[in-house]
Amino acid sequence: MTGTAVAAYRAFLRLYPREFRDEYGVDMALLFAHQLRDEPPGRVWARSLVDLARTIPTRHLEAHMKHAPGPGLPLTVTALSVTAVAVAIIGGTDRGVLVVALPVAVLSTLFAVSLWHDTRPVAVPHDTTARWWKYLAGGAGLLIALIVTTTATGELPEGLWLPTMAAFLLAIVLTVIGVVLALAHVAAGRQRNAPG
Amino acid sequence: MLALLDGELHGYALMGRVAELSDGVVRMGPGTLYGTLNRLVDDGLIEETTDLVARDDNERRRYYRLTPGGRAVALSELARLQAMVHRVARHLPGPATT
Repeated sequence: MTGTAVAAYRAFLRLYPREFRDEYGVDMALLFAHQLRDEPPGRVWARSLVDLARTIPTRHLEAHMKHAPGPGLPLTVTALSVTAVAVAIIGGTDRGVLVVALPVAVLSTLFAVSLWHDTRPVAVPHDTTARWWKYLAGGAGLLIALIVTTTATGELPEGLWLPTMAAFLLAIVLTVIGVVLALAHVAAGRQRNAPG
Repeated sequence: MLALLDGELHGYALMGRVAELSDGVVRMGPGTLYGTLNRLVDDGLIEETTDLVARDDNERRRYYRLTPGGRAVALSELARLQAMVHRVARHLPGPATT
């Protein structure tokens, strides 16, 4: 009796996504058998059927959301869009063809753009503070170059004074940004490595 | 997660522990239980410990326990719930005194 019930439950398990079933199917059937051993079968079945009805769609939705959308649908809609544009161009002299093809072309193009936008890989956010050394090296390098140049050339010519001062200001700003980012980077690293 | 605070449990024991902690109000089905375990494993809050310990278990049941991070989350959630109940209880009218 229990064996038949477990076999029936196993049949229901086939409705779960394959990945989930492969991972937990055996455990779920075992757990169901344990429940049948300890509780009245009617109660176990009632609870299990409600559970199946609730969790099968949920697991499918989760499995669907885990996988990135493939290019199948965007390709199909793009093909429809190209076809509709071609039909609109070729049959443009016929008002009837134009009235149908033009809206289809516009709508399918918009839909295709939206679908391709959705299928693009999600960019992994960069840790801005990890770039501290670029600012520090750039700022410090520029500062050293300016000091060496102005020391070697002596007094600055009239026309070069303003650009040189702007370059000094830029070098100082870059260096300060580099130092601030470096401190933030170290603080963030400590926070990540903190226990608990 | 609160049901795992005492240590590792296998699926059926975990189901029983949840029922016990909720005074029988929450009775999870296998789909709910393993769906939840799957998500918690993915989030790094619990881990499977089946192969970490030698067991005398013919049925090859799978055991789970809280990770250090999961334990911290469970304790923090417990503290949050306790604080909330405490706050609400303070504002409720007390028993009538004669």
